[in-house]
Amino acid sequence: MIFSLNEIEAMGKRAARGVGLDWGLAEEAGKAARWLSAYQFPGAETLCELLTRNDGKTYDELVPISTENTWTASSGALCPLICGSALSDRAHLIAAGQEIKLAKTAKPLLLLPYLARAAEQAKTAIEVTWQGAEITITPQGVAITGDNIGATLVDEVKCHAIETTKEMSSEGVVGCEVDAEIWDRLAAFMTRYLAPDTEASRIAGAGSSLSDND
Amino acid sequence: MLNTNTAQVTLRSPNTVMKLDRLGSVHQCRLSFMRTLLRRMKIENWTFDRPIFDFDEKGVGVAVYCAKGPERTYSLVCFGHDLSPEQRSDRVIAHAWDSTFTLFDGVPDQDDIDRLFQNIPKQEVGRVSHRELSVSRANRSVRLFEHVVESLAAGKQPDTEQCVKVGYLMRTTAVYGSGKLGAADRERIADRKELSGSFQAEMLSVYLTRAYTLDLAEEVARKRAPHSAVKIDPDLRRCFGVGNSTGLGMAPFLINHPTLLNNWVAAREEALARVCNLISADPKDVETFSTMLMRAQLNTEQWVSEHPIQVEKLKELKRDLQVIEKHIEQGVLEGNMPWQRLYTWAEKTLSLEAQEQLVSLILEPYGDLVDDLERVMKADEGAAFTIDGAMSLEELKAILEKEYAWALKTDWSVTSNQARAWYVSAEKLEPRIGDRFEEPIAAYEQPLAPGRDAQKMYCDVEGWTGEPSVAAFLLRHPEHRHVARRAQITAHFPYAEIRDNTISKDLLPIDMLRFKLAFFGATHFDPRSDRWVRINMFKNAPFPHELANNAADDWAYPQLEENPA
Repeated sequence: MIFSLNEIEAMGKRAARGVGLDWGLAEEAGKAARWLSAYQFPGAETLCELLTRNDGKTYDELVPISTENTWTASSGALCPLICGSALSDRAHLIAAGQEIKLAKTAKPLLLLPYLARAAEQAKTAIEVTWQGAEITITPQGVAITGDNIGATLVDEVKCHAIETTKEMSSEGVVGCEVDAEIWDRLAAFMTRYLAPDTEASRIAGAGSSLSDND
Repeated sequence: MLNTNTAQVTLRSPNTVMKLDRLGSVHQCRLSFMRTLLRRMKIENWTFDRPIFDFDEKGVGVAVYCAKGPERTYSLVCFGHDLSPEQRSDRVIAHAWDSTFTLFDGVPDQDDIDRLFQNIPKQEVGRVSHRELSVSRANRSVRLFEHVVESLAAGKQPDTEQCVKVGYLMRTTAVYGSGKLGAADRERIADRKELSGSFQAEMLSVYLTRAYTLDLAEEVARKRAPHSAVKIDPDLRRCFGVGNSTGLGMAPFLINHPTLLNNWVAAREEALARVCNLISADPKDVETFSTMLMRAQLNTEQWVSEHPIQVEKLKELKRDLQVIEKHIEQGVLEGNMPWQRLYTWAEKTLSLEAQEQLVSLILEPYGDLVDDLERVMKADEGAAFTIDGAMSLEELKAILEKEYAWALKTDWSVTSNQARAWYVSAEKLEPRIGDRFEEPIAAYEQPLAPGRDAQKMYCDVEGWTGEPSVAAFLLRHPEHRHVARRAQITAHFPYAEIRDNTISKDLLPIDMLRFKLAFFGATHFDPRSDRWVRINMFKNAPFPHELANNAADDWAYPQLEENPA
């Protein structure tokens, strides 16, 4: 089925919240799914796979233990939603020339939307690489080489500011095909943060007791 | 020439403006989205036609209304249904409606209409495409619709008093835009000048819906009694707006779009400041103001509500509008800085409902001075979304102390201060609010209490011993990430945050709904509970076929001489 970018963002946010990400991170996860979709990457699918993989894991298992040297997670693989937000928060360090290295990371494609925001904020181009993928992100768009962009798990991700003259592809998608099975899985995650409907909630939670047949 | 003194009067403080009781007293003004839409369509000579209109005696059928602007045409596709009374609910959880609509980008062909007929009547269960800009539905005001049809079928005009009292034949119960249900994303249309302002596609949809509701009633009467039926007298016809029933969904919208909220409010505050900075008032502008004041009084007379809160507010408003009238008669607008003096007096003298009505009225004579502000009432929300991780915690703390002072002073451990929780029901994703301590809902709480969350973050910032940057703090306190973002936005956009308790025992969600609806241009707020409000839209406005020969922006208050009541 074709979904609008707005729907993908809203579902992404709710599904991320459903698996336990805090609201601020969930908001950014929704934006990440949207950004990827707008650039014709499988945003909803990638997010769904990541959420499925990390379902049940705590934040502490997925967050970088330290950001001093190479970032690592206690569970073995870093979460790109958490690291993405942390990278975006460190746009100024990247712009100042610091290279940031992530050890084992799941679904690194999901880092790109966050780095795009970092590039925008720091007004710089950022190069991000992992085995089989080399990506340049600027405030104008993204340029990709390599065939491993959709990797499930990579051993290392590196990112740093660069100067580039590469031609960038920009967003431009009006709607995005998402497989019904993927959408249903995201919806199932979302459902966890929806309050089960009850008669009392239906009566007291919204609306009014007055008739609409007047 | 307008003589302004920009140095003197500054904008009202967000600590004053962004209080819930004041937001819940806001009235439509020159910058309201319905009014900007009609002004634009008039200036640009938009034309309208109705290529398809086919209904039976029950109102079942299809219509297409086209609005043609300088560059593009938009079409409202309308489906009429036969709805049984037990199915008629204005709530989100309804499954069927009297009529359903979509605003189509262009002119639909038969294939489009067939596709839309398979989907639009189902609303949230159906799917639309990027060719559609909105999806909406409406229910009849059963008694008035039937009375109007019966009267017209019998060759008579409907009872004026009843028509004015209810004010509409149908109520829209949801108008979805911005990519909902597969429709075009906002970004796809935001660079079109006719749709770049807030909610212009939705307002156009509602404007055409109003025409449909009157046409439908006349057609049903004609089908019932082809030989005797008459049409509604044009002046009486214009007294009908289109109604709307609004629930809690609008409240989260305000909190989830802080930059947009700021830009709406900042535009209106700037408009007020511009007028208050006028050194003197031209007699013709005073005359316009006085006329509008009288028309506002008439509007208040016609404004019906049975809700005890609104009944009391209306009583105060009627009284205070008379107080303003007497005050003006004493010549207070003749001296130096007349509008500023009038507003300062009002702030000390009048109810909030009347103060905010006065703000709207003060702008009325000064279209040339304030109407351009409609151009800033939109937002690039993406730009403000990114957190500045380089910010020091000292700076974040200073922002909290300045912009969230009210929240830091609130004792959030007191039960009544956090008695409510906002949540989303599994049933059709209906937004609801409940009692945190009596219902099992806290686990599902939405992040709609920025004040409480700011205070929590403040405590953790104070106790933080690590690297004193926002980036380092948020890595270990992800639970504060959403409110850190809000605080940074509010530091740049002072009207971005409602500076009040949105989960208090005393919260009236209708205050938030009213505020947003007033910016749309709605009138006659009629709360049906503390979380549900009915309104009127486009009441007294020229219909599409009248726009070319009528003033586009002289309808927001009823006409004195032409008032049929």
